Amino acid sequence: MADMERLIDLQNISKEYDNTLVLEDINLYIRENEFVTLLGPSGCGKTTTLRIIGGFEHPTEGVVLFEGKDITHLPPYKRKVNTIFQKYALFPHLNVQDNIAFGQRIAKVPSAEIKKRVEKMLDLVDLRGYGKRRVDQLSGGQQQRVAIARALINEPQVLLLDEPLGALDLKLRKDMQLELKRMQRMLGITFLYVTHDQEEALTMSDTVVVMNRGRILQIGTPKDVYDEPVNSFVADFIGESNIYPGIMLEDQLVRFAGCDFPCVDKGFGHNQPVDIVIRPEDIQIVDMDAGQITGTVESVLFKGVHYEMIINAGELEFKIHSTVMQEPGTRVGLSIIPFNIHIMNPIPAENEEDMPDEIIEGDEVS
Amino acid sequence: MSRIIKRTYLAFILFFLYVPIVVLIFYSFNAGKSRAKWEGFSLHWYADLFQDAAILKALYVTLSVAVIAAIAATVLGTLAAIGIHAMRKRPQGFMMTMTTLPLTMPDIVTGISLMILFTFARIERGYFTMLLAHITFNTPFVILSVMPKLKQMNKHTYEAALDLGATPSYALVHVILPEIVPGIITGCLLAFTLSLDDFVISYFTTSPMVQNLSTLIYSKARIGIEPTLNALSALMFLSLLILLLMINRRAARAEKR
Repeated sequence: MADMERLIDLQNISKEYDNTLVLEDINLYIRENEFVTLLGPSGCGKTTTLRIIGGFEHPTEGVVLFEGKDITHLPPYKRKVNTIFQKYALFPHLNVQDNIAFGQRIAKVPSAEIKKRVEKMLDLVDLRGYGKRRVDQLSGGQQQRVAIARALINEPQVLLLDEPLGALDLKLRKDMQLELKRMQRMLGITFLYVTHDQEEALTMSDTVVVMNRGRILQIGTPKDVYDEPVNSFVADFIGESNIYPGIMLEDQLVRFAGCDFPCVDKGFGHNQPVDIVIRPEDIQIVDMDAGQITGTVESVLFKGVHYEMIINAGELEFKIHSTVMQEPGTRVGLSIIPFNIHIMNPIPAENEEDMPDEIIEGDEVS
Repeated sequence: MSRIIKRTYLAFILFFLYVPIVVLIFYSFNAGKSRAKWEGFSLHWYADLFQDAAILKALYVTLSVAVIAAIAATVLGTLAAIGIHAMRKRPQGFMMTMTTLPLTMPDIVTGISLMILFTFARIERGYFTMLLAHITFNTPFVILSVMPKLKQMNKHTYEAALDLGATPSYALVHVILPEIVPGIITGCLLAFTLSLDDFVISYFTTSPMVQNLSTLIYSKARIGIEPTLNALSALMFLSLLILLLMINRRAARAEKR
């Protein structure tokens, strides 16, 4: 049972706050040196999951294994994980080097050694010469780096990161994404990362865990969850999507938008209601008579790399990304190749309403 | 025009507020005994003050009660604030209401209820009961000055300390206390000042044998006001004024940050 590859193993974790279920039967394992991202909208339980691993919350049910040992009720200061908190939570009364040295002082490392390690960390996070600064004199990005150094100096086996880049501007966020990834590879530390930013998740992770309403919807590589989302929620959350209800007539044939489309999916049975997901970049704009369906261009938005066009085709609207612009009002044909039509089982209705909207994120409850 | 009216109005308020005190201080330097006739400048009432054994004893009682009560209330209040802060929303709201309630209660109610409590518990009134009473009414003030500092803290700071290996007590001493120390000092000064200032509660919780300055002045005034009391009141006013200015400056500085 103790699979050595599994560094952290969450088994049947449930968590309740005041009779509200915020996590329901979470099963997840994290391998050594893996970069795992918990992705989902706010209130989906991702932060609570992270805090259970950090030891700040205890699950109502289930066990947390670390290297095969049960650590469910171990306090945070006895765990070999370190956390980067939202807004960093640096100690304002200590300067940069004392912040970084905090964990080492507790571990009673000799002070000469601490000094050496702090210097090394300052190098690693590119803050050489900042050791004596007060932390409130640093910019957000620099504070972020101090928080990273403060955690990494303790050589944790796992680093937990709770939306660490949320407070940074876009440019800085992109730089930090690359830098975090570089550190993770270089130091060979397992990262468990929490974010609601799907692009961040796809860029950095080895494994993406998509969560919603306290449940795990899909676990897979970034490519898996993007190309083969298990349901329309995942499809919609990861990247933009056109989602339509349809009927699976038979294997490899689906009907929606008043039209029958060949597709590649099989095994849904005959005349079954399904969800159809099509990425905006997967719809081709062709001449009117060459398309499977026809429509009118309603609006065009310039998005930098591509144009985003809304095409009105009777009762349905299609969102299309293309580098070629069509004038609004133009009648066009749309064509979709079978491979790009993704068929999914519809989300059962009970999933939508079984939890209140204001599910408490872990950090709201202190 | 309206500005002149505003200014005049304000001047009147300040005049009526401070004129009695100014008169009192003014006549404390009067050479004669009269409070109506100026008979020349003298400091001899101040000199008399420091030769009056009863007054010196009362001064000692006042200061020692204030110091001990302030320290005890600071320790209790700080710990209470940390505890209340860690509670969940609803019990926290309840505890804060329980904390602010005594502040809105008239001193006389607090004084009488404490007196009844001591009588009921068969504790003889005196120095000790007065001290207990002062600790009791000071503690909420400390809680109220420490609480904002705790609320200002990043809520994850304490968790960050635990995360880095600190035990809860290490985190308390090395992370939480340094953060809230300004609030603790303000609370302590406030408690000290209120304790020096208090008359009503002290009056009901001490015996005639143990008197602090305010109860002493009161009992002496019933016989007839001696000019030494002018000098004493002037000194008390000044020292309280200085303390209050210190507290206000601290509060103003804390707000600026």
